[in-house]
Amino acid sequence: MAVGRTEPRVSTYVTGRSLGLLVCTNCRATVRAIGAERSSCPRCNARLHARKPRSIATTSALVLSAAVLYIPANVLPVMHTHTLFSDADDTIMSGVISLAQSGSWPLAVLVFFASIVVPLLKLVALGEILFAVARKSVRHPRQRSRLLRIVEFVGRWSMLDVFAVSLLVTLVQVQSLASIQVRLGALAFAAVVVLTILAAQSFDERLLWDTQTHG
Amino acid sequence: MDKIAAPARVRCVRCRAELYRSNAASIDTAIALAATALVLFILANMYPLVSLNANGTTRAATLLGAALGLYRQGYATIAVLVAFTTVLVPLIQILTFLYVLVALRGGRRAPGLNELFRALTALRPWAMVEVFMLGALVALVKLAAMADIVPRIALISYGLLMLTLAALAGATPSEQLWQWVERSRA
Repeated sequence: MAVGRTEPRVSTYVTGRSLGLLVCTNCRATVRAIGAERSSCPRCNARLHARKPRSIATTSALVLSAAVLYIPANVLPVMHTHTLFSDADDTIMSGVISLAQSGSWPLAVLVFFASIVVPLLKLVALGEILFAVARKSVRHPRQRSRLLRIVEFVGRWSMLDVFAVSLLVTLVQVQSLASIQVRLGALAFAAVVVLTILAAQSFDERLLWDTQTHG
Repeated sequence: MDKIAAPARVRCVRCRAELYRSNAASIDTAIALAATALVLFILANMYPLVSLNANGTTRAATLLGAALGLYRQGYATIAVLVAFTTVLVPLIQILTFLYVLVALRGGRRAPGLNELFRALTALRPWAMVEVFMLGALVALVKLAAMADIVPRIALISYGLLMLTLAALAGATPSEQLWQWVERSRA
């Protein structure tokens, strides 16, 4: 097996895999791969894999499901406000607009990013990364690695709106005077967040680099 | 670990991901932080987060009450998700850390340690205390326009819990936990 060849921009490295070593995906112990598959980590007893099994198929399925749900999440209302004088549905976007109109600009920008930009960015980024792996792209692996780490880091913040809705519906129940109800859009939105978090987790980052070592 | 004691942080030469960061926190610090977190967690769940005064009536919401509010309106799935990410996962994290670390400090490997550490790693992305705090802020700003909003003791406790859990996570990276395990075995 060839040792990872040095690229002009990358300092010399040797991949553990080429030396017959595995890293435990759970405790990160470095293990000598003897029986290859179906062995377990001597330190933490987790199952050892050279790469996360079925990583591409799992991640693709999760990203596709999230992409489909992204539409109802943004189109359907997430909550309904009833007062003596009015009845109104709020989508994620109309919630942002009403925050901006009430003068809370910083919060409006924050919610806009967390609820609209971040989920979209995650879907596009994960889609691009999957596509790059599928066509065995050898270019820009470092940028894609970085992108994946950003996606993993910011993903959780999209739950912000779900939490805000949960507090609003609990607090605003003043009999017939005013009440707030959850709507189906919130469920679709929560599903998008959960699915994209799972997608980022199930992707094996090393797949981005597997095209490099044989180069 | 002795060979890379000098630099504060080691990055992968290939993808620039952080591989190792020197960690000054001792196992005692981690236990103290987990114990603090447990106290704050209890306070945050016992008392209301906020109360709302409108037309002479007062309504208060607790942390689990927020999940219950969703459940009552027929959205059990979201209710479970909210309860899981804001209450259950932080509680599991705190109790697991206390159980495992106290045993390790006494030089013992707690029964089920492997499974518990694996659970901790898997649960990390699902603890959303800090996200909930920001969501609460958004909800309060929206309501402030139409009603009288009073932040209560649990909101402050939950905010402090957020900081304590962040410190605990910083003091207990996966590598550090396993180093403590290996030391206890030696």
